[in-house]
Amino acid sequence: MTSTPSALVTTTLPRPTSRATRFRRREGWVVAVAFLLVALMFWRYTQIPTFGAFEIRTITAGTMTIALLAMAQAVIVISGGVDLSVGAVMVLANCVAARLMEGASGAQVALITVGVLLMAMAVSGIVGLIIVLSGVPDIVVTLAASFTLAGLALIVLDGPGGGTNTTFQKIFVGGFAQPIPSILWLAGVLLLVWVPFKRSRLGLATHAIGSDRSAAFLSGINVARTRVIAYVVGGFFSGMAGVVTTAFTGSGEPRASIGATATLTSVAAVVLGGVALTGGSGSLVGPSLAAFCLALIPALMLGLGWDPNYAEVSRGVIIIVVVMIGGLLQAKRQAA
Amino acid sequence: MPAPLLQTSAVAKAFGPVVALRAVDLSVAPGEVHALLGANGAGKSTLVKILTGVLRPDSGKLSVNGTAISLRSPIDARHKGLAPVYQDPAMIRDLTVEQNLRLTGADLAAVRRELADMDLDGLDLDEQVRDIPLPFLRMLDLARALAFDPQVLLLDEITAALPPDLSERVFEIMRRWKGKNRSVLFISHRLDEVRAHCDMCTILRDGRDVASFEPAQEGGETQIVAAMLGAASVPVKETRERVVGTASADQRPRLVARDLVIDREHGGVSFEVHAGEILGLVALEGQGQDRLFEILSGDARASGGELLVDGQELKARHPYDAIRRGVVLVPSDRALALLPQRPILENIAVPLFNRLARWGPVNVKAERSQVQEAITRLSIDTRAAAQARRLSGGNQQKLTIGRWLAAGFRTLLLFDPTRGIDVGTKHQIYELVRELADSGAAIVMFTSELREIGLVCDRAAVLHNGSIVAEFPANASETDLLTAMHGLAVAP
Repeated sequence: MTSTPSALVTTTLPRPTSRATRFRRREGWVVAVAFLLVALMFWRYTQIPTFGAFEIRTITAGTMTIALLAMAQAVIVISGGVDLSVGAVMVLANCVAARLMEGASGAQVALITVGVLLMAMAVSGIVGLIIVLSGVPDIVVTLAASFTLAGLALIVLDGPGGGTNTTFQKIFVGGFAQPIPSILWLAGVLLLVWVPFKRSRLGLATHAIGSDRSAAFLSGINVARTRVIAYVVGGFFSGMAGVVTTAFTGSGEPRASIGATATLTSVAAVVLGGVALTGGSGSLVGPSLAAFCLALIPALMLGLGWDPNYAEVSRGVIIIVVVMIGGLLQAKRQAA
Repeated sequence: MPAPLLQTSAVAKAFGPVVALRAVDLSVAPGEVHALLGANGAGKSTLVKILTGVLRPDSGKLSVNGTAISLRSPIDARHKGLAPVYQDPAMIRDLTVEQNLRLTGADLAAVRRELADMDLDGLDLDEQVRDIPLPFLRMLDLARALAFDPQVLLLDEITAALPPDLSERVFEIMRRWKGKNRSVLFISHRLDEVRAHCDMCTILRDGRDVASFEPAQEGGETQIVAAMLGAASVPVKETRERVVGTASADQRPRLVARDLVIDREHGGVSFEVHAGEILGLVALEGQGQDRLFEILSGDARASGGELLVDGQELKARHPYDAIRRGVVLVPSDRALALLPQRPILENIAVPLFNRLARWGPVNVKAERSQVQEAITRLSIDTRAAAQARRLSGGNQQKLTIGRWLAAGFRTLLLFDPTRGIDVGTKHQIYELVRELADSGAAIVMFTSELREIGLVCDRAAVLHNGSIVAEFPANASETDLLTAMHGLAVAP
């Protein structure tokens, strides 16, 4: 034993990181994505001579569903999982809502909306329960669930159809040139659902199990229950996406490919939005902003007169480049 | 004698066929700092996990303050008066300290008070855990445990890697807890700390409590070491005439480590191994042995010093570089080395692929003949040839060595090669290792069983705190080895 006289050595407290550093580390990515979004919006503004409320509404209402799905995916990725069935849950919610809402009164529509949300939460919760109880990897269970749910959607509605109430549409997505409701809904969901959730012990537990499952267990968290709850919360957002789709299109569309594409876009938005795919860090704000960026890119490319196929190619390239830059920044921080 | 505050009776726990605890009776009196001691694998960590609600015992009873309890989860254990501080603080790196405290339901004000008591109130609780150095995380974890006002505080290797002044504050808290007529269960490899700060100690060996006495008494240290080793402390008989020192002095050593820095804060590791020689390496847990083997096998790079293979420096970027120079590793976790679902044949052939077919398909004929040779030499029971995972632990270990036999090597790194293997197969492995050395291989073998030094090795080196602190001949007594492993000087 090297016996250092303890009186001679004083271990100094670590220097706290500055507020600026903390902000940069915790919110830096979201701020960067917000700037990217503003830049893309400005670019779009310069492309269209008549840019105004109509254009904004097209963007906000049209992207709401993807933003909500990105939130659904983000909650589950933060908890250390992944959900390839968010798109299918959305399609199922859309079909059930459209079928029931056709010709329904205002009060009935409100009731149906609540019912559809509860159904989506239950469906995702069951998927989460299967994952936790069976021990089968989440990627397999949710992929299988996405096929089953897509099939159910076709049973509910065997082709495009159903309908809804126009007041209901206006409440969710606004009229022809009215972007305010869609923005309010997104901000409202973030402020009234995400912020309280994140601050609650349950929200902390969700981050904790994504960050380090064994440390979370030793901290006294019921890991299995928290995982299932993350899927239930994800189901709420997916169900919301289904309800909004019904409002935006005024009908139900059971095509499975819609759900599959939407799921993949939600994963892309989560990655671009600064949520680590390994779990534990990130928020829902980044992914929802990222969803708007992803939706704007093809429109911008089309505005430049590009072939739509090239627009798709460029979208993929942008995701890879941005995430690579993020990875390099992270590596630099860890090396320092 | 007062009624015990914490008591276990006949606590047992097995993991499949491996018995970790056979029957442990532990009794901690109120107002007592009680040390829990034992060599690696004696069952200490399993007992701690049972006492903190991480594992459930297969049988046996726990009681706190005379009331029988069963612990359903870590949080349940805290509420029933048992609060742990683990060697790796159970804190979530992505959250801030405050969020971590809220997560466990700790009383924030109480934690702040404890921190102020430790003179650490300058710690910013809004900091992310990942930005706080480990010693301070341990202190935070300790403050969190204290905030639960536990009956028994369990400190698992808390002073390991803690600077002396912070260790002193930990001892201060132990004294305070004693003063409140509560108890502390103190786990440490540092016998001087145990003697200075503990009122009682219980020693575990092979999953049983073998002795319990006051460590501070005259000759306590010797008594502890003797109890830890048990009957095995009798010098092991030479199993057969051994040819030691076949390597002539003028011959260049096969593997040389010079001041290899395996951990930034400590000195370096230096040793030499000649062809035909087996160097045994012993250390307590967490002295840098894992990292040292990663560096030797090319899986990680040392932050200083040099590694020479056959006189030329090895700067490996990947295990492949080390393997090409003839340096191969057999890890203790066989699952890491094998392809459990593939046939034995393929498992042996994988390291060969580089030679059999650089590009294109593998030459199956050449593969078979080389593999068959290796299997015969190892006498692996191939009835379960279909999948490697169906082999017994011993046969799996033979397979991990056998892979390299077919591929060819000159320096073999063995990390605890007989962990969890039955006695019969152990001896087969000892013979195999000896035979490999006799046929010209240089071997570095880390072992957690001290008797293996006498059984298989030619020399022993002791690793402590990231450096080699002593070298011994193979017939050194286990007492000397264990003393050196604890960082204490051995009388010549």
